[in-house]
Amino acid sequence: MARLLQVFGFLSVLFRGATLTFQSLAIGGIVFVIFVVRRSKEDSGPLQRACLRWIRRSAAALATMQISYVLANSLILRQSADISLREVIGANFVLAGLMGVVAALTVIVLTSPMRTAGYTDLLLPAAAIMASSVMTSHAMARLDYRVPLVAFTALHQAATAAWLGGLPYLLIAIRRAQTPEYARQLSARFSQLALVSVAVLASAGLVLGFAYVGSFKAIYGTSYGAMVATKALLFGLLLFLGALNFQLVRNGPASSILASLKRFGEAEIGIGITVILTAASLTSLPPAADLTNDRVTGQEIIARMSPQVPRFVSPTLRELPEEIYAAQKRAFEVGSLSTESYVPGQTGTRPNTSAEKAWSEYNHHWAGLVVLAMGLLALVAQAGKVSWARNWPLAFFGLSAFLFLRSDPETWPLGPVGFWATLADPEVLLHRFFAVLVIALAVFEWRVQTGRVASGPARLAFPVLIAVSGALLLTHSHSLGNLKEEVLAELSHIPLAILAVTAGWSRWLELRLPAENRTRSVMARIWPLCIALIGVVLLNYREM
Amino acid sequence: MQPGRRYFCARIVVTVVSAFFVVAPAAAHAVLLESTPSLKSSVPGPNVPIKLRFNVRIDAFRSRLTLVRPDGSAQALEISKGTTADTLAAEATELAAGAYRLRWQVLASDGHITRGEIPFTVAPS
Repeated sequence: MARLLQVFGFLSVLFRGATLTFQSLAIGGIVFVIFVVRRSKEDSGPLQRACLRWIRRSAAALATMQISYVLANSLILRQSADISLREVIGANFVLAGLMGVVAALTVIVLTSPMRTAGYTDLLLPAAAIMASSVMTSHAMARLDYRVPLVAFTALHQAATAAWLGGLPYLLIAIRRAQTPEYARQLSARFSQLALVSVAVLASAGLVLGFAYVGSFKAIYGTSYGAMVATKALLFGLLLFLGALNFQLVRNGPASSILASLKRFGEAEIGIGITVILTAASLTSLPPAADLTNDRVTGQEIIARMSPQVPRFVSPTLRELPEEIYAAQKRAFEVGSLSTESYVPGQTGTRPNTSAEKAWSEYNHHWAGLVVLAMGLLALVAQAGKVSWARNWPLAFFGLSAFLFLRSDPETWPLGPVGFWATLADPEVLLHRFFAVLVIALAVFEWRVQTGRVASGPARLAFPVLIAVSGALLLTHSHSLGNLKEEVLAELSHIPLAILAVTAGWSRWLELRLPAENRTRSVMARIWPLCIALIGVVLLNYREM
Repeated sequence: MQPGRRYFCARIVVTVVSAFFVVAPAAAHAVLLESTPSLKSSVPGPNVPIKLRFNVRIDAFRSRLTLVRPDGSAQALEISKGTTADTLAAEATELAAGAYRLRWQVLASDGHITRGEIPFTVAPS
């Protein structure tokens, strides 16, 4: 049970993220079929069938996510509160989950290949899916202004679904349209829908941000505020891509418009999913407006972020507190307790010792130096004058070994906690995952940079892995209080995540855009610069 | 708007609105804002009123309060009815002097369960 709680604490954000993503895909698809495809005068039969197939798949994935979440959470509630199954079934999250499942199954039935006409009735289960999601949002629990907040949350989520959830269907439409003219018509109609959706999404988001964040100081002083700001920045990145699309349609070479639109659409979907995952992460945090004590101040942030000489000398293992590791190991085995509000399974927090902080800073600074070198070498390699610079991805091997050995000194091979035991600790698991990820990055990108892989999906491994790691940095679980050290750590992780997402998708666009698109050469400069900047941020990472 | 479509829109509105009323309102990720007894405080015995206020509405029916006595034994406390939506209240009776811990667990509407512990002391009378 303790193990289930620990893993579930971490997974619940991913569950929520997956639910929001599949919900957006199902609703976005329904809106796309009804308001974009069905209004066209051309024979849209094959395209419609393709869209309906993806709506069915999204609805099936949504139902699976909801069932898994409700089952796991019901088990935890039943055992931790010692209540009967009947009492569990009456819980709000169970009713909301069941409603979502029934609605998703209804979508599957109504989009059956046997049907040929009239899909407006799909709006009914789509509304029920939306309602089930809003029922488990912050808005339902507020003490004040609950009804307007519920309405704005519903608007915010529905607009997100219509825009971001509709994007994959636009790609399907562009690919399957019988003529370029038809594809252009569909794109134009979706642009109108997207424009309205963006306006609704931004307006509702502004109102919700005002209600839940409450003040400017809360934006940088709390984890919730910082995550809202991140969401807004990523939203800005999406709008930037949208503007590039707009410019392309107006001034771009006719021969490559549709091909370029597809590639921009792919990047928008990727960044859109990252925004949805960030939103899922927000749902696991109490609103900033509720936590008015112990916020991080502007002076504390400036003091922490001001540039200082990196630390290249490590404390020894003996300086690290072994008795605390032993206590942690015992707490891990029996489940830990804390006097703060916390999610079951979350490990108790304790302040790190100076030696532990120095250990961590040393790790970040060496990693930063390697990453900065890689970014600069990648920039040099792009210029094409120094051929050996193309081998820059090999530096990832050293980085992986370094991460594996030093990121968690209390665990195997340096510390007393065994290898398998620590895999249930979300933080250690994430570090180990990143170590493996780095090796994958090295292999794939070195082969691409040195010309061993000239085409095919293997080229895209590097941008996808970089973008996914950025998204994961935004999805980790948070503490429920204003623990200053955690907020400050969060503030240093966020730039890394945004730079990683930007690097990943700009590299994707460089590889995927047609040769005649001039944006491609700009993208080719952006991603190495982002990697170099990640190195700079890591070099200035501090914990004291 | 055509009559058929109008009725259809009405059905959607009814579905959404009824969903919010059918389901008992609960909370999203509750955080303890204040408590009686407060953290590490000393209170007079033998009867100790308990009141915990959270940042959001909570599902009191599926929440739990447990008192851990100085000898380590645990006792579930009966949660009072009729308190405000953001509050859990109970009464611990016949407490001898000593160090106690009040464990709480509340359910949030997004399915998240939040827990915490309040150590306090009952002063000798």
